[in-house]
Amino acid sequence: MTTAQARFPRSTPPAQPTDADKQLLQFAQGVELAARDLYKKAADSGKYADDELAMLTLFGEHHNSYAQAMNGLIGKAATNTRNDSLYSTHVGQLASPQSAYASLQSLENTLAATNTDILGQLAGIDAARILASIITIEARMAAVFGTLPSLSVTSAMNASANSLAPKIAQVKMATTETTVAP
Amino acid sequence: MNNISRRDALRVGGLSVFGAAFLAACGKQSGVVPSANILSEGAVTPTTALPEGVVTDTVLLRTAASLEYNAIELYDLILNDGMLTGDYAKLTDAVKRFRDDHQAHANTVNALAVSLGGKAHTCANDRMNRLYIQPALKLVTEKGNPDTSRDIIALVHAMENIGVQTYQGFVATLAAPSLRAEVMRIATDEARHSVVFAQVLNGGYASVGPTNNETTGKPNIASVPAAFGSLSSVLLSVGTPNADNLKPTLTLETPSLNGLIYDFVDCQ
Repeated sequence: MTTAQARFPRSTPPAQPTDADKQLLQFAQGVELAARDLYKKAADSGKYADDELAMLTLFGEHHNSYAQAMNGLIGKAATNTRNDSLYSTHVGQLASPQSAYASLQSLENTLAATNTDILGQLAGIDAARILASIITIEARMAAVFGTLPSLSVTSAMNASANSLAPKIAQVKMATTETTVAP
Repeated sequence: MNNISRRDALRVGGLSVFGAAFLAACGKQSGVVPSANILSEGAVTPTTALPEGVVTDTVLLRTAASLEYNAIELYDLILNDGMLTGDYAKLTDAVKRFRDDHQAHANTVNALAVSLGGKAHTCANDRMNRLYIQPALKLVTEKGNPDTSRDIIALVHAMENIGVQTYQGFVATLAAPSLRAEVMRIATDEARHSVVFAQVLNGGYASVGPTNNETTGKPNIASVPAAFGSLSSVLLSVGTPNADNLKPTLTLETPSLNGLIYDFVDCQ
């Protein structure tokens, strides 16, 4: 076996999302849309201006991009419906900038934890790749709320959150052998 | 009508004779017994080929552990050599905490490797050290560099980003989905480290998203550099500025195939 061949496991996982993956990604899309709407609510509140407003708008756009990326992965299975439960949990805390930052940090931590748990259940590699690239940025956005307006390492490193990820079992599939014994 | 002159025919003929003689000189000579000693001076030491490297989940986890030890060594150097001075001295507690975080990460990935039947790897990645860390440290600590503290933070910021990218990149290669989640939990921790340093190096709301240096056009350090986590090279500008006030720029990469910690690699 050459090194190049060895880079891939013998049983290659599917690239496309499985049926279980699609359900997991539907859920992920719902929480991303809730985050998008929460940032829009904060940005439209009139409490923020200039660079701070630009940052909140940027973060909202990122979550919109994540929802769109999931559309690309699951196609017709996409519901494009926000998770109302998550939205309701946070929307009341956007009234003041102090509580809003704590709430938005908690939101980002929840999304990172939820998407990480979803990643741990995905069979399809395409979705796993995209979700991994989303998770690192959500952790960064959470940390930003611990560093602004004043830097607190303890707050920036605060990752406490409950994952909302549902548990959806994969249907056992026949593996695809990439090598054949002589 | 024949276009070849007598002179052309002689020239071509001469070249053919020379070519044949040259080829004959390169070939085996009749009556000469071939000997292995003719073309070499002294005895050639027999070589041992490296074992075939197979990239398994264990190898990826051991490689991750090696990067964690690179970070631990770097943070220890900062603390032991008193590299944080002036305003940067306020970061001492953060540096201690982040070093301890990396030790915890190393323990986690090593425990995963052992649970899969592999060996724990408890030292730094030599190739990453030689290619990136040592050249960067040389620039950071050279005489005349007015920003040693700032530059050492820039280096650990870059290494945190390399750590995040390494874990993110491993997601596509790890066979077990549960391992993908485990490594991403560590990646999110290191992404948070990176944000703390990004805010120290280029703080404020305006620097959170991507911006570019107006003079050089190069990207500035950003807390959230893009919508999706990148797997591209990490740029690091450190060292004594030149006449145009520009620091040398290094390019750091995540471990490639020959930087992985295969099963046959041990700590020296």
